Amino acid sequence: MKKGLIVTLIIVLVVSLFSGCSSSLATDNGKRAILVVSFGTSYNDSRALTIEATENRIKDEFPDYDIFRAFTSQIIIDKLKNRDNLDINNVLQAMEQLKKDKYSEVYIQPLHVINGEEYNDLLNQANNYKDSFNTLRIGKPLLSSTEDYQKAIDALKDKFSNLEKNEAVVFMGHGTPHIANAQYSELSYMLHDEGYSNVFVGTVEGYPTIDNVISRLNEKNIEKVTLMPFMLVAGDHANNDMAGDESDSWKTILKKDGFEVTTYIHGLGEVKGIQDLYVEHLRNLIDGLYEPEENK
Amino acid sequence: MKNMSLKTLFTIGLIAILTLFVLRSPIENLIKNTEKLDTHKYAIDFIDDSGHRIKMDKPATKIISLYSAHTENLFAIDAGKNILGIGRADAYPMEVFNLTRYDYRADPEKILAANPDLVLIRPFIERKTPDFVNSLRRSGINVVSLYPTKFSDFDDYILKLGMISGKEKYAQKKLNEFHEKIEEFKKFNSRFKDHPGVYFESSETGYTTVTSDSMPASAIKIAGGNFIANDAEPIEGSSIASYGIEKILQKANDIDIFISQRGVMGAGGNIHSITIRPGFKGIKAVKDNKVFEISQKIISSPTFRFLKGIHEVSRIIHPDYFDNLSNMISQNNTTNRDLAKLVVKYKHKVYFVPTSSYFRKEYNGHTYGKFDDLEFSDPDFDFIETAVSSGYMDTNKIDGIEYFYPEKEITKEEFAKSLYLISDLRKQTIHKEIKDSNDCKNLKIIQIIVDNNIMKLENGKFNPKDNISMKDAIQTLNKLKNTAKQ
Repeated sequence: MKKGLIVTLIIVLVVSLFSGCSSSLATDNGKRAILVVSFGTSYNDSRALTIEATENRIKDEFPDYDIFRAFTSQIIIDKLKNRDNLDINNVLQAMEQLKKDKYSEVYIQPLHVINGEEYNDLLNQANNYKDSFNTLRIGKPLLSSTEDYQKAIDALKDKFSNLEKNEAVVFMGHGTPHIANAQYSELSYMLHDEGYSNVFVGTVEGYPTIDNVISRLNEKNIEKVTLMPFMLVAGDHANNDMAGDESDSWKTILKKDGFEVTTYIHGLGEVKGIQDLYVEHLRNLIDGLYEPEENK
Repeated sequence: MKNMSLKTLFTIGLIAILTLFVLRSPIENLIKNTEKLDTHKYAIDFIDDSGHRIKMDKPATKIISLYSAHTENLFAIDAGKNILGIGRADAYPMEVFNLTRYDYRADPEKILAANPDLVLIRPFIERKTPDFVNSLRRSGINVVSLYPTKFSDFDDYILKLGMISGKEKYAQKKLNEFHEKIEEFKKFNSRFKDHPGVYFESSETGYTTVTSDSMPASAIKIAGGNFIANDAEPIEGSSIASYGIEKILQKANDIDIFISQRGVMGAGGNIHSITIRPGFKGIKAVKDNKVFEISQKIISSPTFRFLKGIHEVSRIIHPDYFDNLSNMISQNNTTNRDLAKLVVKYKHKVYFVPTSSYFRKEYNGHTYGKFDDLEFSDPDFDFIETAVSSGYMDTNKIDGIEYFYPEKEITKEEFAKSLYLISDLRKQTIHKEIKDSNDCKNLKIIQIIVDNNIMKLENGKFNPKDNISMKDAIQTLNKLKNTAKQ
């Protein structure tokens, strides 16, 4: 009889404890967080000008939220830990931390450029935490709607508004085997439709390649080319694959074909108009203007 | 009674465990002292750089070297054949690519299975992975930890490597040659009266430099520079010294030359990243475009390639002498070898030195060290590799084999192409007519070269297949230099 009473009490206690836990996570306690997610970079100087600058913009624009950082590249995270003793969370670690700290509203803003593999992984990882927060919303990468392309072009147009007939700007995008690689062609198409017919987009790891770009340059009798990265950060690809004194950098390849080449080594994250676009995406997200993202 | 006995046994056992725990330190000391009492005379007996006494009856013949400098030095002192395996990052000399690789961050079992008689490490490895190192020691393998933090410790380090590999005499011979060359550098550089201020960036993280007795600081002094960060505070147990952005900017006007070491984890920034740092535009070296990158492998790593590091720092500090093209003037036709030297000197380009990560990629064009007709011992090897790796010269690939043809005389067209690749020449609006344009494969480039008056036409013809003398090549490069200044 006595034993039965004790067992009953224990069961009641355990059940109430568990129910207490789950209700505390879902409670709207007013704690609000923004998680800014980027691929990351080991280039400290460029990181300060791009990722940190964008994060700081978000801090300024959303003063009522706690702002956190996560990188998606574990290689970069490990490198920064080993090299600089810098602790940066990956997405799962960041979500666990937000859950532990009992945030009730969480908004994730990716600083990715296209809706590719990295973004899909982010969606998959973050959506596992849907039930851990009262509100969990995941924002969109830079180029996610037709208007985004137009706004990104507007943000960058001072770099290519006054090109002579024989001058071109060639953007170096990253490129991916993911279907979203087509976004680079969409960007190129829209640039031309907006009247910037001497602006071309190539990729390091996808289509169009630099050889495809050179064909377009030759078709238009282009003689002078300015190379710019279409990447958030001016890291390894911009410094070496694009502008490096290396036998297979884009600069060298173009010069060997007789083009006059100048390089502009600045990441998109440095451009105020691009930061504005990320901020706008985040504001729309918080205001509930986006449909919830499902796993893709 | 039976219960009592178990209780007593338990108590005694507990007291015994506690006593052993409390007395573990004196017991360990006793074991150590017992070691000191070892009266056996060992052929090799010294204290390594992690403080362990090394006792060996004979030199090792099956060495696993887990630090690239140890590997490189063993090859340099003729002990390469004693190497059984190497670390993950070893990339020099090329023989290392035939050896098995081991990782101190992995399970030590792989090393134990290879049955080496010596494992060479450095104190960093011991600090980073003590369990790995202890487990090797417990298995009875000789583990020797070496690393000279000061330049003055280099000889002792090399001699220890010689001792444990049975190549002490050869090591001494190499050291003698090494110091002879350093004396030559010192004597040579003493003729220069100017001693420009040189800052050396060891790591961009926290803007660290090196101690004034380190290898890089020594190279700067031997090369005739004035090492700016003599007041840097050393980080214990290493040649790295903290400095910080404020101190660098305080000395902005004294830093004539800014050298950043590259090529390893935690290295300094690249030229672009240094120039975009807040406040760095005020540094004299940044204003004067005198920011240079140099491979850590030839400037900080304690190897005999340090001589190359001194050579390169000398070139950086005294370009008017070391990169003076007029020293090369002759009436001979310019060869591929000559062109490599000319363009690298013209650009003041520091030698290209690959790291292990370089060899993990595949290259469409040239891969370092792969020329079938160029030996590593070639006196111009570094000039040639630097010119080609930087994209200043083309190479030839036949059936997948690369050739440089060092003695082949170059054509005017080939020379024009290299001129364009090393310059920032602009396209002109008015074009000169080139009568033999159909013979020019690189007409766009030749047109720009001719329109900028860098190379002249003869009776309206460029004559792309003609050779070019060294005298004409150097005069042309001087013209290019003057055009660039305008």
